[in-house]
Amino acid sequence: MATASTADSGTLRGWLDEQFGDLLWQLSNFWFGMTLLGIWGFMTLLGVVIDQGKDPASYFDAYPAPLARLVLRLHLDNIYHGTAYVALIGFIIACMTLATFKRVIPARLPPLHPVKIDKVPLNATITLPGDPAGVRERVAAFFRDKGFLVRKRELDGVEWTFADQDNWARRGVLIAHLGFVIIAIGTTLYWAAGYSGDTAIVTGTEATIPQNGTRLKLDRFGYEFQPIRTRNGLVYQPIDYVSNLEVAPRGGVFQSRVLRVNEPLDVDGTLYYQSSYGVALSLRLTRNGKPEAGSPSAPLKEGDAFPLGATTRVIRYERFVGTIDKSGGIGPDPRPNNPGAILDVFDGEQPIGRALVPIGRDLDLGNGYRVAATGFTFFSGIQYRHDPGIPFVALGAFVLLAGLVISFHFLPARLYVRVDETAGGSQVSLAATTVKGFEIFEEQFADLVEALKRGLGLGPSSGPENAGT
Amino acid sequence: MSLDQEIILVAISAYLIGTLALLNYLLSRSELAKRIGIPCAVLGCAAQFYELVYRGTTTHIWPLTNLYGSLTLFAAMSVVIFIGFALRYDLWFMGGFVLALAAGFSAYSLTWDVGYLPAVPALQSYWIKIHVPLVISAYASFLVAFVSSLLYLIKYYGEQALAAETVQPTPAATPRAIIVGDAPNLERAAAAGNTLALWLATLPTLPKLDIITYRIVAVGLPLLSLGIITGAWWAKEAWGAYWQWDAKETAALVSWVIYLLYLHLHTRNAWRGLRCAWISVFGFLSIVFCYLGVNILISGLHSYKV
Ligand code: HEM
Repeated sequence: MATASTADSGTLRGWLDEQFGDLLWQLSNFWFGMTLLGIWGFMTLLGVVIDQGKDPASYFDAYPAPLARLVLRLHLDNIYHGTAYVALIGFIIACMTLATFKRVIPARLPPLHPVKIDKVPLNATITLPGDPAGVRERVAAFFRDKGFLVRKRELDGVEWTFADQDNWARRGVLIAHLGFVIIAIGTTLYWAAGYSGDTAIVTGTEATIPQNGTRLKLDRFGYEFQPIRTRNGLVYQPIDYVSNLEVAPRGGVFQSRVLRVNEPLDVDGTLYYQSSYGVALSLRLTRNGKPEAGSPSAPLKEGDAFPLGATTRVIRYERFVGTIDKSGGIGPDPRPNNPGAILDVFDGEQPIGRALVPIGRDLDLGNGYRVAATGFTFFSGIQYRHDPGIPFVALGAFVLLAGLVISFHFLPARLYVRVDETAGGSQVSLAATTVKGFEIFEEQFADLVEALKRGLGLGPSSGPENAGT
Repeated sequence: MSLDQEIILVAISAYLIGTLALLNYLLSRSELAKRIGIPCAVLGCAAQFYELVYRGTTTHIWPLTNLYGSLTLFAAMSVVIFIGFALRYDLWFMGGFVLALAAGFSAYSLTWDVGYLPAVPALQSYWIKIHVPLVISAYASFLVAFVSSLLYLIKYYGEQALAAETVQPTPAATPRAIIVGDAPNLERAAAAGNTLALWLATLPTLPKLDIITYRIVAVGLPLLSLGIITGAWWAKEAWGAYWQWDAKETAALVSWVIYLLYLHLHTRNAWRGLRCAWISVFGFLSIVFCYLGVNILISGLHSYKV
């Protein structure tokens, strides 16, 4: 009984091992990997074509309803953070690693073995006087002088000379693949231990970053626009955005810091960036001249809304207008010269009116309601990010690049040379293989053969001796 | 018309004359045509570099902050990279196509000339001086690779047409005939005086054209990788994250994947040659989308059009 069960489990284990080995071999298949890379490219492209991260309604605006539903059901509105996309990259890395170790390394670093010279497309034979041993030495010296790695082996009773060009560069693939894996480790570290977010701080107020407790106080937000006359008319070109902040790490004291675009702040390993700005609007709602409950207590940011008293209506602050021109329209200058705000009125979801209200003035909303734009203040949009994976991503990127350059610009080639005794001398037969096919080495091989002939004391020759070239 | 526009017109004229001359060289192998074409190519790109330097020094504004400037550099770099390869591998026969494309892109650049605008805050960084030239040089390499792939396809389909016209191909006359020169059909038809065959025979063999494309992609792909890396580095400084899936970044990644597939498939005998030539053509289309399509059609962090 005991014997039988041991035998069973032995067979089962053998069977499982075999299946597992088969699976790994299939996963390391070149075409499987390339198909995955193709799918990756296609999914990435979908994310360029389909706007990402928009609200569902906007897809129904942009596409016919069935297509919009498809986009939403397949989560194509947020491809890059979807499970399928991340899993695909994981799968690519697994296949790439398997391919590297199961196929590329064994094939790229082949043992020294004999070949049938005349079956290799790049081959040549040279006949010359002298005994084979002496000629063999001269051939070896020739290749050594040219920087080849020369090794001699006796295989199946024949003395072979192997001359390798850029043998080390056979590892370029390994290096490139390794770079990709290191980048993946870096990005995974971010998912595991990093965080990011954004905050908008109104001038004079303070915000706390939830993940690290750092407090940021905005003393002032400043900007510079330059009016420039271009061939298309007057353009107000942004030149500078700057936040004067006071920053206190968790448990620390406030210190003044200046934040500009392209000049991030590093506070205890978290980076803060000037990413956007906006204008917050103070509004006061009254009814029959008296303050109405529900009047916004804090300045609103663009897109914020509040209900109009007890009605079903909603007022939304659409956007700030820097300059109201003489005709009462929106002027091109974004700087607050004669400022105002565009307010939209909705009944439920239904837009029922829009008005441009100058700052300091009010708008009659009917039924005794009035809303006054009492003032404005800037807020600064700040992004923050803590990413412990960055050193890995940077290292991986350069390793990958090095692998690419090595693979592209160094051509590992192997010359197989045998010298046989022939009537009146020796016959040198040589063949060449490379990791990139034969055509790419054709000219260099012909040059090498010519140089070898000269090196062995023969002039440039023609005729059948150049077989294969 | 401002001086910089005049200089660009000089470049376009030089490219157009060069196009005619080098197309003539492609068809006739006339040494005179080549001797006219080469100086035109050199003059055209020299004028474009001069124009960029002139604009930069007179306005003190880095000239690569808009499509006008970057298209100028793109055209000039395409010609420079072409000249480099032509000198190394004697590829002047491709020049007519390269110069025609350079002339077209330069003319198109003029439509984006709005005058002098200082850089917006996000572009005020030394990274623009590193990242943009790298990416543009990568695009330019792919343009040249695109032209050599086109010539591959012309030769391949020309040979096919001849094979259909002449006797049945012998088994040796496969497109992958290794190191045997051109397909025997082509040699036979050329010997019989067929004009197309005579012309096709002046082009390098198909395997050689394939290797030319490979060597150019071998410059373009590392440059594109470096361009993406420096872009990510800059993005980390300017926007807070090295990768934001912005349309431009993503389109560049798609192009990178296409050329990565090219690189891998080129290791396969059956894919080297015809299929890889198509991938290179397709890759260049994706580069054009990444470069112009994204800037013009999709608004994002990278759309700097005015
Ligand atoms: C599923 C993913 C991948 C698989 C299965 C895979 C597989 C392979 C294989 C089998 C080779 C050797 C080809 C040959 O010599 O016959 C190779 C070469 C190479 N791979 Fe990958 N690879 C993958 C992804 C990548 C990625 C993401 C990179 C990014 C850098 C990369 C870079 C390279 C390079 C540079 C070579 C050398 C090509 C040459 O020498 O011409 N591979 N790959």
